Formats: sequence, structure tokens, C-alpha cells
Amino acid sequence: MPELPPDDPIKSRSFANPILIAFFVLLLCVSWAMYQEFVGLRPWRGYQNEFASAYSAYLQKELRARDAAEKTVSSSADYQKLVANLNQAQDAATPKDTAIEKQIAVVDLQRAAILHAFQTDRSLVGSLIYDYEIVPNTADYKSEKQSRLKDVLDAEAKTYSVDWPDESGKTTSRDMNYKQLNDGFNQLLDKKAQLTASEGDANKPVKDAQDALDAYLAAKLPGLNSTQLKGLLNTVQSMDVTLVQINVNPPGHEINDVGGVGLTDRCQSCHVGTNPKYVPPGFVLTKADLGMQKSNDAPFSSHPDPDLFKWHPLDTFGCSPCHGGNGRALSTVETAHGRYEHWLWPLYYPENYEAGCQQCHSADAWTEHAPALNEAKMLFREKGCIGCHNYSGFDSQADQLQDTIREIASLEKEKDTDNQEIPQLNKQGDQAPDNATAQKLYAQATNLTVSVSKIDARVEQLDELSHSLQQEVKRVGPDLKEVRMKLNPTWIPYWLSHTWNFDPTTKMPQFQLQPDEVQAISAFVWQQGLKGPALDKQPAGDASKGKDLFNSLGCLACHSIGRGSQQTGGDVAANLSRVGEKANYDYLVRWIHDPRVRTAPYDPYLHRDLTPADYAKKGLPFVFDLQHSTSPVDGHELVVQQQTIMPDFRLSWEEARDIASYLMTQKDPGAHYDQASYINDPSLFDKGRTLVEHYGCANCHEISGLEDAARIGTDLTQEGSKPIERFDFALLYTKAQDGILPDGKHLVRDGQSSAWYDLKGFFDEKLADPEIFDEGKYKPDPMDRLHMPKPNIDPEQRDALVSFLLGSTESTLPPSYQYLPTDQRKYIQEGWWIVTKYNCIGCHQIDIGQKSVLMGLPMYQGDNSIGLPPVLTSEGARVNPEWLKSFLANPALSATDTDRDGVRQYLKVRMPTFFLSDDEIRKLVLFFEALSSQQEPFIPEKLAPLTDQERSVARSIFTSPAAPCLKCHATGNLAHDKNATAPNFLLAGQRLRAPWTERWITEPATIIPGTAMPSGLFVRQGDRWVFNGPLPAAAKQYTGDEADLLTRYLFEMTPQEQSMLTGRTPSAPNSGSSSAKK
Amino acid sequence: MNRKFVCWAAAFVLSAAIVGCSKSSNQSSSEGQSAAPAATKTVDMATAGSISGVVKLDGAPPKYKPINMSADPYCVKANPNPVFPDEVVTGDGGTLANVVVYVKSGAEGYSFPTPSTPVTFDQKGCMYTPHVVALMVGQELQVLNSDNTTHNIHPTPADNREWNKSQPPNAPAITDSFARPEVAIPVKCNVHPWMKGYFAVLANPLFSVTAKDGKFEIKGVPPGTYTVEAWQEKYGVLDQTVTVAASQAATSDFTFKAQ
Repeated sequence: MPELPPDDPIKSRSFANPILIAFFVLLLCVSWAMYQEFVGLRPWRGYQNEFASAYSAYLQKELRARDAAEKTVSSSADYQKLVANLNQAQDAATPKDTAIEKQIAVVDLQRAAILHAFQTDRSLVGSLIYDYEIVPNTADYKSEKQSRLKDVLDAEAKTYSVDWPDESGKTTSRDMNYKQLNDGFNQLLDKKAQLTASEGDANKPVKDAQDALDAYLAAKLPGLNSTQLKGLLNTVQSMDVTLVQINVNPPGHEINDVGGVGLTDRCQSCHVGTNPKYVPPGFVLTKADLGMQKSNDAPFSSHPDPDLFKWHPLDTFGCSPCHGGNGRALSTVETAHGRYEHWLWPLYYPENYEAGCQQCHSADAWTEHAPALNEAKMLFREKGCIGCHNYSGFDSQADQLQDTIREIASLEKEKDTDNQEIPQLNKQGDQAPDNATAQKLYAQATNLTVSVSKIDARVEQLDELSHSLQQEVKRVGPDLKEVRMKLNPTWIPYWLSHTWNFDPTTKMPQFQLQPDEVQAISAFVWQQGLKGPALDKQPAGDASKGKDLFNSLGCLACHSIGRGSQQTGGDVAANLSRVGEKANYDYLVRWIHDPRVRTAPYDPYLHRDLTPADYAKKGLPFVFDLQHSTSPVDGHELVVQQQTIMPDFRLSWEEARDIASYLMTQKDPGAHYDQASYINDPSLFDKGRTLVEHYGCANCHEISGLEDAARIGTDLTQEGSKPIERFDFALLYTKAQDGILPDGKHLVRDGQSSAWYDLKGFFDEKLADPEIFDEGKYKPDPMDRLHMPKPNIDPEQRDALVSFLLGSTESTLPPSYQYLPTDQRKYIQEGWWIVTKYNCIGCHQIDIGQKSVLMGLPMYQGDNSIGLPPVLTSEGARVNPEWLKSFLANPALSATDTDRDGVRQYLKVRMPTFFLSDDEIRKLVLFFEALSSQQEPFIPEKLAPLTDQERSVARSIFTSPAAPCLKCHATGNLAHDKNATAPNFLLAGQRLRAPWTERWITEPATIIPGTAMPSGLFVRQGDRWVFNGPLPAAAKQYTGDEADLLTRYLFEMTPQEQSMLTGRTPSAPNSGSSSAKK
Repeated sequence: MNRKFVCWAAAFVLSAAIVGCSKSSNQSSSEGQSAAPAATKTVDMATAGSISGVVKLDGAPPKYKPINMSADPYCVKANPNPVFPDEVVTGDGGTLANVVVYVKSGAEGYSFPTPSTPVTFDQKGCMYTPHVVALMVGQELQVLNSDNTTHNIHPTPADNREWNKSQPPNAPAITDSFARPEVAIPVKCNVHPWMKGYFAVLANPLFSVTAKDGKFEIKGVPPGTYTVEAWQEKYGVLDQTVTVAASQAATSDFTFKAQ
């Protein structure tokens, strides 16, 4: 036996242990991989399983409830009766139905029996006729033609044997020729059609009974029925746990194109409740339904606003374009929601959901289903953000006006240069060495003359445009040129340092000013104020009358009065509870009488206010208004109105004095103002000016010398697309990363603690208090501090504005996703800009569901709502656009009698004059028409003139006790109109549209629910409306449509006719109202 | 490589063009200067002579129909007798009126002061009086309106600036002047289309317009040899060379051929 080497590695060493270890490591790896494969990397599996069990339980519960409900309903007498009806109808119909079915079966058999013979014969005869037809009709072929004709006749005469079944089921053999087959086949077709029709008739009672039963069940048991529920339950129980994805590949575009293959959203893999396969449309699923309301991690609710899918179908929009997030990611909630460092589109938090809408709806003034966004857009203007920050599409008139003024100025310069050059060229021509050169130079001069004339034409156009723009441009804050006339000087420094103390709801932001800054700014503004011409002195008015007027005219649609819980009114304009402390009475009277009146016109070309001397030099009186708006110095458009949205209520001086007297009583008795003698100190002037420029006061206020101040803030049009690095978190960077708020608290978002180093965090904190970003910074010069003041907004408004900013992005979606309609919807958006600008919605309901400020005031509750301004939801269908144009331009509808409302003189609240530009009026008219889907241009329906007989029938309807029209409608007679609550019929012809009027007198409540106009004046009989009340025998003979008749009668209404009906003296259609003649 | 070449070529062409342009513009300006030699000599009136003569028409003048002025009743009333167009106006023995005779060349070396007396051009009876006006470059022209109707004066020059001004009755005289010699500028009235006249604008004051007797006399002509030209609106121009001796009167007659 050979000796083994002492140390044989094969024999002496075992690899068992390493292999075992390796085995376990491998096993571990495989198990880990398996775990990751099935659970770890696929949390959606867990979600789907969880959903399936919770939802099945819910469906089962629903099913039981449904079964029980169905049982209850099916045992009710009504149901039984309906079922009995159905059964009875079925019993009655069945024999007839069976008989007809039998006949149809026989017809089918007969048709089948002759079909083959008929088709064969028809083909044969057809081909023989063709053979006959192609033989020329000449003498040479006469014999052949005849023989072919014979072939045809022979074929037609040939008979085919057909096994003809009859009704008893027997078949007989029949010989049929061509004609018999042809006729027989057509007769069978007709017979079958008749039989089918009579079968329908026979079954009609059954169908009606079934419909009645279905309607009853749908009313008693809305929602899914038990069969549908069972089907759903089956689907859920057999749910295939799998990845669900929406592939969005719009044609020609690569949406959100990572890798260029389109967008893939897998959100429904976890958010199972949004999948219509499991939760059908119309079925609402909440966390509470699933018993998961306490869970933070149960993404199973159905979409809260399923209507949105009507315009944003899932397969073209997916989820992430609106919500943000990373639609492909599935591994964790963080990654799927895109809430990690380098994902540029994190999921919006619930308070900012509407940011998603803004991405495509940034050009809208009013986006349906996005109330917060709409509010944000109004706030952006009302709170004066737009004063300092440019935002494309907002307030474009001011920019347009600036551009226009600049263009005019540069054209004028060009004209001057040309005008100087023309004589020079002529002179050069005169001295030219040869005639050719001279002619060239003369031609140049002539061309320049022509271009000067072209410049003149262009300038004229631009002047016209700027006239319109000057009317449209409004400033956020009041005119500070007139401070010396309107304000108590001691109030100014108090206001600057205690802004929100004086008016807690003001739109003026709080500037963090040092006392010396307050003094300097006050002094500058005061010293820069206009010193003349002096105001007229006004006698005192009656404050109690003024209070009534203030409360009833509609001032409260924009202004509020009272403090704290006592506060009522709108927040578009100032709270007036302390206005008496600051205002000068004489100025206030002028302001209320006509707020557009200026003390002096401003010439944007000379950059100064004009004085009476400027006018006197040209021998002109110092008169400037919309009709006298050109500068006597340079011939261009002046600023002749105050740039305020406050309208003119067309009040008498007496009424203006009454209101002003009332407002002057509005004071805080405890108010105290320090002396402010420094306000006249000229040494503060320069410092004040520097500060005013620094803080951008002139971005919102008109201030002498700073009228053209450029916006000092950053452009916000695409603020939501700025990379985070470009936001200066200053010394708060670490705190933001750690989620520690400036006040030291930890940030909680959506129930979880969170960092705020993101756009939302920056916007939130910047809007809450912009100063925090200065904290701890070394800024020895106060001018180095951030400019932005603290905006006066509540947390809800802040959320709205943050949504607005987050959505203000350079969209990553294809341009076709942008909402830029070119049809009537465009007019709707253009109109909303104007409607929100002038706060029309303070008084009027314009959009269905929208509430006006006045509707919420205590004085318009209950029966008093009759005193509210008209609802305008159907205005475009109601009125003639030509009339609307004239009404918007002059709501008094009279050039001389202006102290009244043109249509509703019976209302205390009054439509004021807004001095809208022609363009604004045009856009508003188109807006109302578009809201009511009215065609443009408007062509009035031609109404047939009434015959004498028709007139007398119409009169009997109009005066019938069942149609007390003149109980409510005004007539222009003062005594009668004391109780009037509806417009004068004399206006109808020019104001209304006939089709609307007919709908209004028949079914007013469908147009304006809750209207005082009663429904049921007419009833539908067949295809005509018939008056629903007693009529004289003669009138009863009328066979036409009586609603149409009454409409035509109203459109022909004359003062004579009206007075004849009321037995009173006629009054002119446009004569005065009671309030005018006080 | 190719691209580089194109760039260089473009740069070369561009610079060549710039040099060429600047050269040519220099040239043209120097030419312009040389084309107008400085006229320095003044006329010594002591030695100046004159040119005179008679202009005749050889043949019969065209026959004209009376002008129909019915477009403006005032014009009809102002002319009780028929008025004929004054395109060719002859006197006894075929003498020709309204001919401008002027020194066309030979006097370039002299500088002449612009006459300070204005020339008048009147609108009377809806006709121009005189029918042809001669004036020197820069000399003032006064246009009068003696009619009780509104005229417009519309010279349509080839080398001078065109203008067109309205002149109501009793309006002040319109004054203007012409900067460049031009024989002759047609003048018309767009309101009364039959009204036609001429402004002969000349470089020097050595000109004369014949009266009905066909006579003309050009005074103050310095001694020398000149080309004298006679211009008639219908028959065009005739040139003659005339030598004027010191303080002597030269004669020169012109005869236009009737066509």
C-alpha cells in the first residue's frame, strides 16, 4: 500500500463549511430577492390586496343594504301595482305577440323557399337582356335582335318549381315564372315590415309599463342595483393583482418625454379607487366607506371631482400632468410622489391641488372647478401684487399704454427729425450740381413729407388707442397727488406705521418702516401733493339720510363697514369705519359725487400735471374729461380720470353730501394722532423720495414725478419653474432642510413632518412674512433690506396664492394642452377679466353657483332678497346686445336724467357708471352672449305684428286676474311704482330678446330659480302654450300660441296702451324715478 | 477648410467693396465741385452792351376755338367777349409774342445779383397775365388773384420742386421762387383746366420776353460771345451766336416756322 502524502489537501481539508456558508448566503440572497420581487419593490401588491378585501367587504355590505331596500320597495303597494300593470300588459300582449311571431316565421320560410329560384332567374333574365341590348338596332341585325328578344321572353316565361310552405306547416309545390317570383319576393318583404311594426304596437303597453317600473325603481332606489353590485363584487373578488398603467401618447407629441415614448402613469396601481373598472363613474368611494378614515396610508378614495374627466380624459391626460409626482415610480410612496431631491415636479399637497390647473389655464381669468385659483387671481390684483410684480396677461393695459406712449413719443421725435430734414434736402436739391441729383433730393424730401403724414396717421390711431387704454388702466392704490386735499396730514405717518391697525382688512401691505423712514415718506408725499386749484366748499349734509343711501345703494358690494364681528360688506375696497379720522369732507363729497374727477390732468408726454395756465395759453377753459382728453400743449391723450375702479353712482350733490356727512361720523373715539410738523420740512424731501422709490410706492399709487415708475418686483409668470437654487433662503437654509419653521416649530404637511426646502416652502414663508429672510443678515444700510412688504392675506388666501405661483410654470406639456380657446369660450375668458376687475360679482350673480357679496349681507336676507340686483346668468339670452351696449355705457339710459337706474328704478341698489372703454363694453357684451351660447352677430327675430283680434286677446290675458303683471312691473307712474319690483314693459321691445321672453313668461324658474316671477302662467297643450286662467269667451277661441302672443304684445307696448290698461295717465318710458325728485 | 475659405473670401470682397465705395464717393463729390466753377467776375455796367431784335413767325398761326368757361359762371361773366387760347399770339406782320429770349451760354464766368424786384403773375378773367413769366433763379415771384373766384396755382416743374396752392379771392399774394434754371415750367389751375401759363427760370438776368410786336431787348450784357436762345411754348427753341462789343447794341432776330 503506497503511503499517502501526509498532507493531502483533498483528503485532509473539507470545504463543507464554506459551501454551507455560501449556501446560506445564497439562500438569503434569493429570499431577499424574492421578498423584494413580491413585496419590497412592489408595495402596490399590498395596496391592491388591501383594497380588494376592504372594498369587497364594503360591496357586500352595500349589497345587503340594497337587497333589503329592494325588498322593502318590492313589497310596497306602488311597486306591486306597477308590477301588476306590467304583468297584465304582458298577459294582454303575449297572445298577439305569439301570433305575429308565428306569421313572421312563416314569411321567413316562404322567403327562404323562393330566394334561390328568384336569384337564379333574375341573373339569367338580366344577362339575356344585356345580350339583347348590345345588338345594334339596325336593319342588318334585325333578325338577330328578334331572336335575342325571344330568348328573353322565353326565360321570363320559364317556370321554376318552388316548395311553398303555408301557415299550417305543409308545403305545396308551385311553378312560378319570373314575374311571379319577383312580385312574390317583394310582397314578402312588405309583409314582414308590416308584421314587425304591428308587433311593436302590440308590445307598446308592455314597454310603457316596464318604463314606469324602471322610473319608479330609479327614483326609489338610486345607484347601482343588486345585479350590478354583484357584478362589481365578482370583479373585485377575482381581481388580478397587477400593475395598472395609463399610457398617454398624444399624437405628434411626446408628453413629459423621458426617453421620448410618452407619459406612463402607474398611479392607479396603488390608487385603485380611481380606476373606473372597480369604482364606476358616479360611484363615490371614501376612506370612511372602507372603514379606513384613520389610516394615513390608504390611497383608495375615488376621484373627488369626476366631472373633470369629461374635459380631461384619463387616456390623454393621465394623472401626473395635473397632480405632479413621478408617475412611473412604484417602489415607495416618496418616489412615486416625486418628493425627493432631484425630481422637478413633486406632487402638489392638497391645499395646492389647483396649481395643476394653472399650468394649462394660466391665461384664464376664471377657471371652472378651480375656486382657489380664481380667488388667487383676484387677490393678485386686489391685494396689489400686480403693482410690483409683472405677470403676463395681468393688467396688460398699463403696459400697453406705456408702450403706446413710448411709441408716440418716438414717432414724434422721428417726425421732428424728418421735418428738419425736409427743408435741408430741398436746399441741397436747390444747390445740386445737376438736375438728376436735384430730382433725387427733391424726391427724397417729398417721400419724407409723405412719411411724416403717415406718422401723423399712426399717431392719431395710437392716440385713439391710448384714449381707450387710459380709461382701462387702474391703479391698486389711491391717487397720492391729492393728499393735501383729501387727507388729514397727521394721519399719514400713523397709517404708514399702523396700517392694519387702522384698517384690518386693507389691501395695503404692512411695510416694516423705521420711524425716520415714516417721517421722510410722509413729508415727501405731502410736499409732492397738488396744491391747487382749491376744492369747492361743501355745506353739511344729512348723515342719517346718508347712512340709508350708503347701506342701500350698493356701496357694500366693495366696501365694508364696522369692525370685527360687526363688519359687513365686501373686501375689494377699504373698510370705512374710521374714514372720518382721515378724510377731508369737501374732498369726500366730490369723490362720492364722481370718483373719477381729478384735480388736474396728467400729461404723460410732458411728465407733469397740467395747470389752468397751460389751458389759458391756448385760450381754452380748464376743462378735462373723457370728451376733452387731449393735451392743449402736445395734442396727445391726457390722464383725465382718477385711475380707480370706483364707479360713479350718478348722485346729486345733495346725496353725495349726505353720504359724506355719514362717513365723516365714522371714527374711533379713542383715536389719537401725534403732531406731524415735520411733514412740511423740505430737508426730508430727498430722503423721502429715495424711500418711496425703494419701496415701489408708485407701483400702486399715483405720485407726482414717479408716474412712470417701473415695477420693482420680480416677474412671476414662470416663478414655479425656477430651480430651487435660485430662491434665496438666506440664513434659513438649514432650518428649511430640517423642517424647522422660522417660529421654531416643526413643519407638518399632510399629517407628516416635512422639510420646507422647496418652492412651496419658500412661497408659504415669503407670503407669511417676507422679513424673515432678512433675519440675521448683516445689512447696515436699511436700503439693503428686502423690499417686499407683508401682504394682508389670511392663511386660506395664502394657500390660494401659493397654488397660483406653483402652477405658474413654463409648462412641460405640449402646447396643445394649453387652454387657449378660439371659440366663444375665448369671449368668456376675456369677459371674466373685466368682470373680476370691476367686481361685477360684488353685486351680481353671473356664474351658476357663484354668490355675490350683496347676497350675503343681512339686509338682503329672506323676503328682502327681492331688493337684490338682477341675476345675470342668462343675461346674454335675455337682452338685445345693442341695448346692452348702450346700457353699459350709460346705465341711466338717459343723457339728462341720470340720477336713477335705467331699468330697475324700483331697486334701491343702483347700477353705477363704470366709464368702460369701448373695447371693454364690446368684450362684456360678447361675454354675456357667449355665457348664454348666443350666436354673434345678433339678428333679432322678426315678430309678426298683432292683428286687432290678437291684440284684444292679448289684452284680456294681460289684464286677467290670473296674470297680475302690473302688480309688480313698473309703469313709470310714481304712485304705482312705489311697490314695483320688476321692470317697465315699455323697455321690452328694445331691451329683450323675444325667444327668451317667451321662455321667461312660461317657465321663469328654470332660468332664474327663486325669481319673484311666478311660473305656471301658461300651460302646455299639445304643441302650444295656453294661458292658465279664466278668459272671456271671445279670447278662448284663439288657437295660436298664447305665450308667443303675449310676447308680441309686450314688445309692442306703448305708453298709451299701458295707461289705458291701468286707467292712469301715461308717462314717458324714460321719465324719472322717485329717488331723483327728492 | 471650405468654410474657412468662404469666410476669408467674404472678408476680402467686403473690404474691397468698402474701399471701392469710398473711392467712388470721393470721386463723385470732387466731380460735383468741379462741375460748378466759381463765378467770380461781376459785370461792369459801364462797358455792358445789349442784345435786341424781333421774333417772328413764318407762316399762319393755328386757328383756335373760343374757350368754353361754362364750368365757372364767374369766368363767363368776367369775359363778355370770347377768349382764345394764348398758345400762339401774333401781332401785325407775323410778330410773335410770349417768346423768352435769353443768354443760354457764354455768361457762366459772371456772377449776377438776383434782381430785387419781384415778378408778378396775375389771374385775371380766369386767364394768366402775363401768359409767360421769365425770372431769374431765386428771384421772387408774386402770384396775384384779381378774380372773384378761387384759383389754384400748380406749377409742374421737371427740375424744381412742385407745389400746388389754393388762392381764394382777395387772398394775399403767394410768393415763392425757384432754385434751379428751367425753361419753362408749365403752370396750371386744376379748377379751371383751360388756364395755362409758363415760368421761365433762368440762371442769369440776361433775358427778355417778347411783347405782341415781337420785340425784345436784353440789357446789361458784358462784352463777349454768347449763345442766345429763343423759346416758344409750341415751336420750341432757336439758338443763335451773338457777339456783343463793349457798350454796343447787338441785334439778333429769330423766326419760328409755323408747323
